[in-house]
Amino acid sequence: MLRTTLAGLKLHKSRYVTTVLAILLGVMFVSGTMVFADTLNASYEESVMGSATSVDAIAVPSQPEPGSEGAPEEPIPFTGEQLDEVRALPEVSEAGGLLRSEAVLLDADGRAVGFTPPAAVGLEGVSRFSADEGSLPSNGDEIALATSTADQTGFAVGDTVTVLDAEEEKRDFTVTGLVEFGVDPSYSLGGAVVFDPDTVREMTGVTGYSEIDARAAEGRTPQEAADAVTAALGSGAEVRTGEEYGLAMAENVGGQTEMMRVALLLFAFIAMFVAGIVIYNTFAILIAQRQRELALLRCMGAKRGQVFRSVLAESVVVGLVASALGVLAGVGIGMAGATFGGPLLGTGDAVPVVVTPLAVVVGLAVGTVVTVFSALIPATRATRVAPLAALRTSATAAGLEKGTGWIRVVFGLLTFAVSAGLVAVTQMADLAQVGLVVVTAAALITFVGVVVLGPLLVRGIVRLVGVPLRKVGVPSMLAVDNSTRSPRRAATAMIALTVGATLITGYSVISASTEATMTTMLEEQFPVDYQISPQFSMEEPESEEAGEPQEASAEGSEGAGSTEGAEGAESPADGAEGSAEAGAAEGTGEAGAAEGTGEAGAAEGTGGEPADQEGGAGEAPETPVMPTVPAEVVAALESQPELGQVFGRRSATVETDDDRMAFVYTYPGAEIGADLTSDVVEGDLADMGPGRAVVAEGHLDGVGIGDTATLPSENGEDLSLEVVAVVEEMQMLSGVTVAEEDFAKAFPQVDGNEMLFVRAAEGADPAEVRDAVYTAVEDHPTMQVGSAAEMKNQFSQILDIAFYTIAAMLGLAIIIAVFGISNTMALSVLERTRESALLRALGLARGQLRRMLSVEAVLLCLIGAGIGIVLGVVFGWAAGASVLPNMIFAVPVGQIAMFIAVAVLAGLLASVLPGRRAAGTSITGALASE
Amino acid sequence: MTESTVKPVPPVDAPPVVVARGLTKTYDTGDNQVHALAGVDVEFHRGAFTAIMGPSGSGKSTLMHCLAGLDVPTGGTVHLGRTEITGLRDAELTLLRRDRIGFIFQSFNLLPMLTAEQNIMLPSQIARRGVDKQRFDHIVDVVGLRDRLSHLPAKLSGGQQQRVAVARALLNAPEVVYADEPTGNLDSRSGAEVLHFLRDSARDLHQTIVMVTHDPVAASYADRVVFLRDGRLVDEVTEPTAELVSARLLKLEEA
Repeated sequence: MLRTTLAGLKLHKSRYVTTVLAILLGVMFVSGTMVFADTLNASYEESVMGSATSVDAIAVPSQPEPGSEGAPEEPIPFTGEQLDEVRALPEVSEAGGLLRSEAVLLDADGRAVGFTPPAAVGLEGVSRFSADEGSLPSNGDEIALATSTADQTGFAVGDTVTVLDAEEEKRDFTVTGLVEFGVDPSYSLGGAVVFDPDTVREMTGVTGYSEIDARAAEGRTPQEAADAVTAALGSGAEVRTGEEYGLAMAENVGGQTEMMRVALLLFAFIAMFVAGIVIYNTFAILIAQRQRELALLRCMGAKRGQVFRSVLAESVVVGLVASALGVLAGVGIGMAGATFGGPLLGTGDAVPVVVTPLAVVVGLAVGTVVTVFSALIPATRATRVAPLAALRTSATAAGLEKGTGWIRVVFGLLTFAVSAGLVAVTQMADLAQVGLVVVTAAALITFVGVVVLGPLLVRGIVRLVGVPLRKVGVPSMLAVDNSTRSPRRAATAMIALTVGATLITGYSVISASTEATMTTMLEEQFPVDYQISPQFSMEEPESEEAGEPQEASAEGSEGAGSTEGAEGAESPADGAEGSAEAGAAEGTGEAGAAEGTGEAGAAEGTGGEPADQEGGAGEAPETPVMPTVPAEVVAALESQPELGQVFGRRSATVETDDDRMAFVYTYPGAEIGADLTSDVVEGDLADMGPGRAVVAEGHLDGVGIGDTATLPSENGEDLSLEVVAVVEEMQMLSGVTVAEEDFAKAFPQVDGNEMLFVRAAEGADPAEVRDAVYTAVEDHPTMQVGSAAEMKNQFSQILDIAFYTIAAMLGLAIIIAVFGISNTMALSVLERTRESALLRALGLARGQLRRMLSVEAVLLCLIGAGIGIVLGVVFGWAAGASVLPNMIFAVPVGQIAMFIAVAVLAGLLASVLPGRRAAGTSITGALASE
Repeated sequence: MTESTVKPVPPVDAPPVVVARGLTKTYDTGDNQVHALAGVDVEFHRGAFTAIMGPSGSGKSTLMHCLAGLDVPTGGTVHLGRTEITGLRDAELTLLRRDRIGFIFQSFNLLPMLTAEQNIMLPSQIARRGVDKQRFDHIVDVVGLRDRLSHLPAKLSGGQQQRVAVARALLNAPEVVYADEPTGNLDSRSGAEVLHFLRDSARDLHQTIVMVTHDPVAASYADRVVFLRDGRLVDEVTEPTAELVSARLLKLEEA
C-alpha cells in the first residue's frame, strides 16, 4: 500500500508543488523566528556576559525596604571608605567605583538630548565598562559617549560636545571614546556620557558610588571575592559574582527577546493556520479527482483503513519534505534577519548564528502535524469512496456540487446573530479590557459562520457581480460560471485569503481610527500650537518617569503624553517594565523610583493616567516639587509678537477623605471651556470661576454638579469648591481643575508652571512662530519644546510603522493564501482539461482561455478579500470602540483601496501558471484522453 | 426523408470543400517512428455526408484532427475552401475553427455549467457573432430540443446531449462539420435519431459533414464511406448500406 502511495506521489508531484510551498513558507516563518530569536538572545547574552565577567564581583547598593511611611528612599550609594575597605580586602586584587548621576547633553542645535538627560558616569579604577572605540576620558576636558548616545546625536570621536553642569552652565568637552553600555536599562534608556571621576563630581555633585566592581586576588575564586565584598559592605549592598550578574542581566534581556519571539510566533501561527486551510483544500480536491483510482484500489480489495492510511501516509511524506525545506529556508531567513536586523536591535556586528535543535524539531513537527491534521478530513472522505465508482464512466469533473443545506444556512446565520449580539453588548456596556476579548470571540464566531456559509456566499456574490461581468465577453462569462461550479472548493480557497485580509483591515481600521480620534482630540481640546516643559530629571525621585508617559500616548488619551510617547517609542513599552525589573536585579534603586511615582504623583505632570496610579496611594507628606518652567521663559514667550496666548499648568496632589489621591490642576492665563475643554458629562464649563471646580469623571467619587468638593490643602484649611461641571475622563481636563486664586491659596509653594502652552498669533507664519518659540527658550536648553503638528506627525509615524510592520508579517499569510488559490485553480484546470480542449476546438483563443482563468482567480481573490475587508472594518470598529469609548471611527479608504488592488494583482498572479498549463495543453491530446 | 432520396446529390457535381493532399503524420516514440498517416489524398464535397471508417489504430481520428486544424500534420496540405490550413499559426487556426468549422465529439461535448441554449450559442458568443434567430429556431425544432433549452447538460439524456452538440455545430452553417464518433456513447435509438439529423441537415441545409466512426450502421447513413488502414486510404463506397460496409470492413481486417 505504501508503495502505491509513493508511486502516486511520484506521478503527481507537480500537483503538490504549491502545497509544499505553502507548508514551506509557514515552517520557514516558524523556524526563522526561532533562529532569529535564539541568535539575538545569544548575542545579547554574550555582550552582557562579556562586560559582566570582566570583573569578578559586582556590588550595588541594595534596595531599601519600602517603608510603611513616606516615599521609599533611594538606595544609599557606597562611600569612599567602603570602596577603600573593599580595596583592602585580601581576597580582592583591585576594585573600582562607578559614580553615576545625570547630566544634560546638548545636541548640535543646542537643545537638550532626550526626554531624560543621559546618565553621567565616572569610572574610578577597575570597571566592567571599557572603551570600545577610542579611550576613556582622562582629564576634565574629555568625555566618552555611550554608543547609543553617539548614534542618537551623531557625535563621533573627536567632536566637541556641550554638557550643562549642575548650575546649568555650559561646558565643552572633546569626545575621546565610545563605550558600549549594552542593554543595561540604566544606560540604554537615556543614554550615557562618561567623564573622568573628578569631573563627574564637579559637574553633578555626586559623591557616592552606585556600583563597586572588584577583581579577585591571585588564587581566589570570584565567589570568595564576592563573599568577602559582601562581608565588607554589609547589609546595604547586594553583591554578585560577575557571572551571576551577567546571568541576571541576560535573563532580563532574554525576557525582551522572548516577547519578540512570542509576537513573531503569533504571526507564524496565523501563517500556519492559513497554510492548513490550503493543505486541506489541496487534499480534498486531490481525493475528489482520484476517486476512480481509490475505487479501483477498493475493488482490488483494499480496506477502508488502508485507503485512509495511504492518504495519511501521503500527507506525512508531503509534510515532512516541505517542512524540511521550510526549516532550511527558515535558518536562512533567521540568519539574514540576525545579520541585517541584529545591529538595529543592538547586537554586535559579528553574530554567530545559533540553530538550536529545538528550532529544527519545532519547525519539522509543526509543518508535518499541520499537514497531516489538515489531510484528516479528506482522508476520511477517501474511505467513503464506493468500489463501484471505479466502473462509472463519467468523470467527477462533470458533477456539480450539491446545494447548501438549510442546516448550514441556519447555523451560519445563527453564528452571525450571536456575534452581532456580543458586539452589541461590548458597545452598550463598558467592559473595558474584557470588551476586547469579547470582540475577538465575536470575530472568531463570525469567522466560523463565514466558513459554514462560504459556499453560499461565493455563489451569491458571484451571481451578483456576474451580471455585469457576463456582458463583458465569453471568457468572463465562462469564468463566472466556473467559479460557482465547486462553491465549497472556491470558498475554502477564498477563506484562506479572508483570514489575512480581515486581520490587516481590522488593524488598519483601528490604526486609522486611533489617529483620527487623536487628531480630533488635539484639535478640539488642545487648541495650542506649542507646549514647553522642562526636561525630566532622574535626580529627583518624584519625577522619575521613564516609562509612564508611553502608556498615556499609547491610549491616545492626552496630547501632553504623546510627545514623550513618541520619543519613547523606540524602546517599546516593555522597556519601561524592563527598567524596573533590571533595577531591582541590580539594586541600583531604579525600581524604587518606578514604584515611587504612583505615590509621588508625578504622573500628572506627564499627562499619565492618574486612575492607574491610585493603587500606589500612600502618605503624601508634602506636594512634591516638579521641575518648572522658569518665569523668564514665560516673559520671553509673551514678548514675541508672533505668539499669541501663553498659559501654563500647575498641579498638586492631595489625599482625599477616602484615602485616595486627588490631582489638582490650575491653568494660569487660560479660560477653562474656551482655551481648554473636555467633553462635558454634566454641567457647563463656562460656569468655571473662583470657588468652583471642574471634576473629571471617576476622580471624586459620587460628586455631581452643585455638590461641594472638599479638598485638604497644605495650609491646613480645607478647600471647599462648588462643582460646576463633570467632564469625561482621559481627556484634556484631568483630575480636579480649580481656579488660579484657589490654587495659589491652597498650595502657595507651587509657584511655577510645570508646562506652558503657547498659541500662535492670528495669521502668523508657522515658520516664524517656530523661530519665535525657539528664540524664547534659547537660554534654557533643557526646556523641551513640543508642537502639536510634530506630535501629530510623530504619532502618525508610529502608527504607520506599526501598520507596515504588521502588514509585512501578515503578508506571508496572504502569500500562502494566494498559493492556495493558485493551486485550486491549477487542480481545477487539470480537471477541466477536456473542457478547455473543447472550448479551444470551438474557437476560444489561447488568450481568451487564459483570461477566463484570470477572471476566475481575480473573482475568488476579490470575494475573499472583500469578505475580509468587511469583517475587518466591522470588528476593527468594534474592537477600537470597546477600548476607546470616544473613538472617532475612520475607515482608511486609501489602504482598503490598496488591499483591493493587491487582491486583483494576487488573482492575476495566481492564474498565471494554471493559465499557461491550460493554454499549452494540446487539443487533440486532451480530447483523446478519457 | 424527402423526395431527394431518389436522386442524392452526387459528390462529384459540387466543388470540394476540403481537400487533403499527401497528408502524413508521424509520431516519434523514442526508438521507432509510428506513421499514423502515411500519405492520404482525400476530398470532401459541399453538401456531402462522408464517413471515415477503419479498424482501431488505422488513423481515422488523426486524419480528422489534421483536417480540422486541431492537429498539425507532418507533411502534405489541407485546404478548406481556398485557405490552406496547413502552415497556419495557432491564432489563425483558432479563428478558422471558430468561424468556419463545426465539431461534434463522442463525449464531453457540452460545458457542464452552461444550459443547453447557452451551449448552442457558445461558438457565436466566442466569435461575438449575431445569431440568426430563424435558423436557431429551425434547428432547435429539428433536433426537438425546444422544451429542454434551459436545462443543464447533467439533466439531459445522452441522446439529448448529442442533439445539443449537433445543433451547436450546425447553428453557424460552417463550411464543414466534423463529427468524431457522435453515436459512440448512445443507445441505438438515440444514435439513429442523431444520425438522421446529420443526414437531413446535409441534404436540406447543404451542410458538409465528415464523420469518423467504426459502426457500420452509423456509416450507412452517409453518402459515401472512405476506408482507412494503416494510415492509408484503401477503399471507398458510395450509397452504402450497413451490410456492404460491414463486408468491406471485414475484408480489410482480414487482409
